[in-house]
Amino acid sequence: MSNDKIGLTLKIWRQPCSHSKGKFETFHVNNISSDMSFLEMLDVLNEHLTLGGKQPVAFDHDCREGICGMCGAVVNGQAHGPEKGTTLCQLHMRHFRNGDTLVIEPFRARAFKVERDLVVNRSPLDKIIQAGGYVSVNTGGAPDGNGVPVAQDTAEQAMDAAACIGCGACVAACPNGSAMLFVGAKVSQLVLLPQGYPERAGRALNMVAEMDELGFGNCGNERECEAVCPKSISIRNIARLNREFFKAALFG
Amino acid sequence: MILDAKIPSGPLAEKWDKHRFETRLVNPANKRKFTIIVVGTGLAGASASATLAELGYHVKTFTIHDSPRRAHSIAAQGGINAAKNYQNDGDSIFRLFYDTIKGGDFRSREANVYRLAQISNSIIDQCVAQGIPFAREYGGTLANRSFGGAQVSRTFYARGQTGQQLLLGAYSALMRQVKMRKVEILPRREMLDLIVIDGRARGIVVRDMRSGRISSHVADGVVLATGGYGNVYFLSTNAMNSNVTAAWRACKQGAFFANPCFVQIHPTCIPVHGDYQSKLTLMSESLRNDGRVWVPKKVGDDRDPDRIPEEERDYYLEKKYPSFGNLVPRDVASRNAKEQCDQEKGVGQTGRAVYLDFAEAIERDGLEMILKKYGNLFQMYEKITASDPRREPMMIYPAVHYTMGGLWVDYNLMSTIPGLFVLGEANFSDHGANRLGASALMQGLADGYFVLPATICGYLAETKLAPVKSDHVVCEKGEKQAADKISSLLNCSGKRTVDDFHKELGRLLWDYCGMARNRNGLETALAKIPEIREEFRHNVLVPGKNESLNQSLERAGRLEDYLEFAEMMVVDALQRRESCGCHLREESQTAEGEARRDDENYAYVAAWEFAGDGKSPKLHRENLVFENVTLSQRSYK
Amino acid sequence: MGTLSKIILSSIGKKSIMAVSGIMLGLFLLVHALGNCTTFFGREAFNSYASHLHSLGCLILFFEVGLVVIFLTHIVLGCMTWWQNKRARPHSYEVYRSSGGRTMGSKTMPYTGIIILFFLFVHLQNFHFTDHSREISAIVKGVLIQPFYAIFYSIAMLALALHISHGFWSMLQSLGINHPKYNSIMQRGTLSLCVVMVAVFVLIPALTLLWPGFLL
Repeated sequence: MSNDKIGLTLKIWRQPCSHSKGKFETFHVNNISSDMSFLEMLDVLNEHLTLGGKQPVAFDHDCREGICGMCGAVVNGQAHGPEKGTTLCQLHMRHFRNGDTLVIEPFRARAFKVERDLVVNRSPLDKIIQAGGYVSVNTGGAPDGNGVPVAQDTAEQAMDAAACIGCGACVAACPNGSAMLFVGAKVSQLVLLPQGYPERAGRALNMVAEMDELGFGNCGNERECEAVCPKSISIRNIARLNREFFKAALFG
Repeated sequence: MILDAKIPSGPLAEKWDKHRFETRLVNPANKRKFTIIVVGTGLAGASASATLAELGYHVKTFTIHDSPRRAHSIAAQGGINAAKNYQNDGDSIFRLFYDTIKGGDFRSREANVYRLAQISNSIIDQCVAQGIPFAREYGGTLANRSFGGAQVSRTFYARGQTGQQLLLGAYSALMRQVKMRKVEILPRREMLDLIVIDGRARGIVVRDMRSGRISSHVADGVVLATGGYGNVYFLSTNAMNSNVTAAWRACKQGAFFANPCFVQIHPTCIPVHGDYQSKLTLMSESLRNDGRVWVPKKVGDDRDPDRIPEEERDYYLEKKYPSFGNLVPRDVASRNAKEQCDQEKGVGQTGRAVYLDFAEAIERDGLEMILKKYGNLFQMYEKITASDPRREPMMIYPAVHYTMGGLWVDYNLMSTIPGLFVLGEANFSDHGANRLGASALMQGLADGYFVLPATICGYLAETKLAPVKSDHVVCEKGEKQAADKISSLLNCSGKRTVDDFHKELGRLLWDYCGMARNRNGLETALAKIPEIREEFRHNVLVPGKNESLNQSLERAGRLEDYLEFAEMMVVDALQRRESCGCHLREESQTAEGEARRDDENYAYVAAWEFAGDGKSPKLHRENLVFENVTLSQRSYK
Repeated sequence: MGTLSKIILSSIGKKSIMAVSGIMLGLFLLVHALGNCTTFFGREAFNSYASHLHSLGCLILFFEVGLVVIFLTHIVLGCMTWWQNKRARPHSYEVYRSSGGRTMGSKTMPYTGIIILFFLFVHLQNFHFTDHSREISAIVKGVLIQPFYAIFYSIAMLALALHISHGFWSMLQSLGINHPKYNSIMQRGTLSLCVVMVAVFVLIPALTLLWPGFLL
């Protein structure tokens, strides 16, 4: 581990609550260890702000190991910052240089309301899941786990799609504010596995309808979602969703 | 009060069936008349909410997160155990039961653990049916791997993200019920108090974390699935928002807290690298299969590892435990690492780390083979530390990982407050003094999918509950108390931040109530905690106001509870003068310095009753009876 | 709204109709380009191609009407998605940087679309709604000999190339065609299609302008 210290200028979006107007505020931080994570850097800033009688910057975070999907902000124009396949909590300060200016903004989309500073409301993603992102099976009465074989390769592909952490970076990075990668990942996971077969038609139609309803944009195949996804989920899942949608629309 | 665990009579294997038959049922048509509050949406909370709703109850589910999918169950990597015996390697329900109870160092209830093993198989079936992409063999059947503490392969997994996949399965079942309007989900709500009316749990007081609004919600039963309290140490592998508040406030309302000193410390975590560190990251224990643990022999040797010749390295685990070597159990590995660092032989910038060296394994099996096994872990390590384990040894250090202690519950998972049920890591029930790998997921889902739905109906059917509204005088009192607590925190305007206090508390507990404990240390901690708490109350600085999203305020409230709870934890540790499970009590060890359990005097669950602010909690004992297993001492020499 | 219109106006519905109309327009372009290749074989070849085409009578009218409908569908849906996408992010970022997904083509889709539309008007004005008493080769020469038009046509064709460079691949993706086995072929295919088509279309104004012997 190296132990370089850097100083940064931070331009952070500040907004007291969802219905107030926000603006950028500039801060300077020094003595940032290159081993810190991005969120630890924000912790340090917040300790300074608190001791200086100012309001700390609100930001969502929880597991800090890149799996809960709670953290996320746009850093210098990129959701979760410049490193590929990395959430903000796993982004380390060694990727920045002394004297850098970082512009930090919340994930922006009509469907994601800013709650405060960098905290946004991503419950629309829950609504999309409610529209059909499940297998309708009650507890109990499930057949034996080995009852239906699933090819290893298929299970792996389903897992690739299921790795989605629901952070919303795909929406934040999409020039069109679309949630297609999120929907595509869930639909793919459940259509690849035999357990998801029976409900496949309704699932594709309803989840897409809900996504549209909630004010997400239209997919323009810009591939930005795939590029920022911290779990590197492929847009192949979007193509699969498209196919599912046609099948359901034409024959479902 | 006599603790009655309500364990059904009869042979071990028939207890659960018998109990389910004897439990009174609620008529399906009447179920929708009952409202049940579930707090927490991890594996236990989400699965319980979904299942209760499927059965027809009206469920109100609360989470502190923006979405139910964020709970920290999501971070479990390894897998979930089940006694399927798909591998034909001699596994059985009884073997899973035996391994779990032995792994827990004989400090858990036989009946609960056996039930857990019985249910484990249904969990796998349920999860597969939900569309969870478990790893598969070429032929399409479910794959298994082996895990610590077992000689059979019984762990089901979905890459290194099993917890995530299981949680998302439970979450999707929950979302389905939300869509069907059977579950009302209330996100970003923090439970601040339990409402107890006529001696029964009837609701909760919550704060909306966005608006600061405090409100009461009433119900016919309350279910807490609020996880563990590992963050009392400040640094742990727990998520930042994990806290003891809900459990502690229930404890203050009369629920007993069992075995709070049972804390598991995981040996292979990425070491602390500075004061600013917020969180520790766990790496799979499997690394110890091929890595060799060592420190320099010389105190204060700060040469680079590759400059330290072989004869100047101390492979202390291999030396001390020739038969198990680097594969000694979690607690032994953790304790020895801390011991080396305490002797100032630790490595790295902070001196709080030991090496885990793969050089020999790479030489023996080839880099490709090693990467095949540990590639993703190596990547994860490199991402965080910017050091390449292929070229230089990893640095590891133990970290607080799981808390076996929790609110005391009976066989029905009901606490000492009637109507208050506690599930998952928040209760104490199944892991004794030490939890085996891949068992936490099993317990969370067993409690939520199968146990609670079967037992809660007994309570509801047998109890005559008077209708209660959320403007009941007890609710109003609870709301006022919660509001007062918040305003006293905000009005304090002291000089130290919340985290500053939390770090102080954490260091104290780590030093005196960690892996190895002794009376002097615990008494020191016991004297110091009230001092920190006092200073906290007069000198904490919480910026902002209640009426908006205020993360400092949230943390302050949680820390205040930790400062009270920590005392109970230390009191518990002090009374348990035996080495057991995860911890070594220095007064209770063998001549060779190994842990010695004292079954004669301590084969009981210590359940603590809150006796009032500033008063020492009252101990109640539940004696553990072992009819189906023989108690044995562990030895790894 | 009925189920069908709901499906058509859904985000995937719109995109797939954009894709299908895109294929049709692409096919039209391909045929158009092939026809235009006759210019390389001299004036007579070109003129006879044109007169053969016009001798198709009402069939040509049918195609023309069809084309207008397809164009309008493509344009209307394009405008709708563009507008909805603008609305999907009411507050734009202070700083925006691509993470490597977007291409020049995908970024400029609406703008190249507008250029192509504008070009279409000029193109129809020049060749369709004009005095058809002269032979077609003379009309072409008359327009493209003017440097302004030659350059405008060339620029418009580059815009078209950019539009197709994303459009073709995007059409496949929208129709659900994406497989690791074929993705590289699909990408190379898109590129070569663009190059060939545009080469043909740009070569005509370029040759007219630079080579006095062209179409004589």
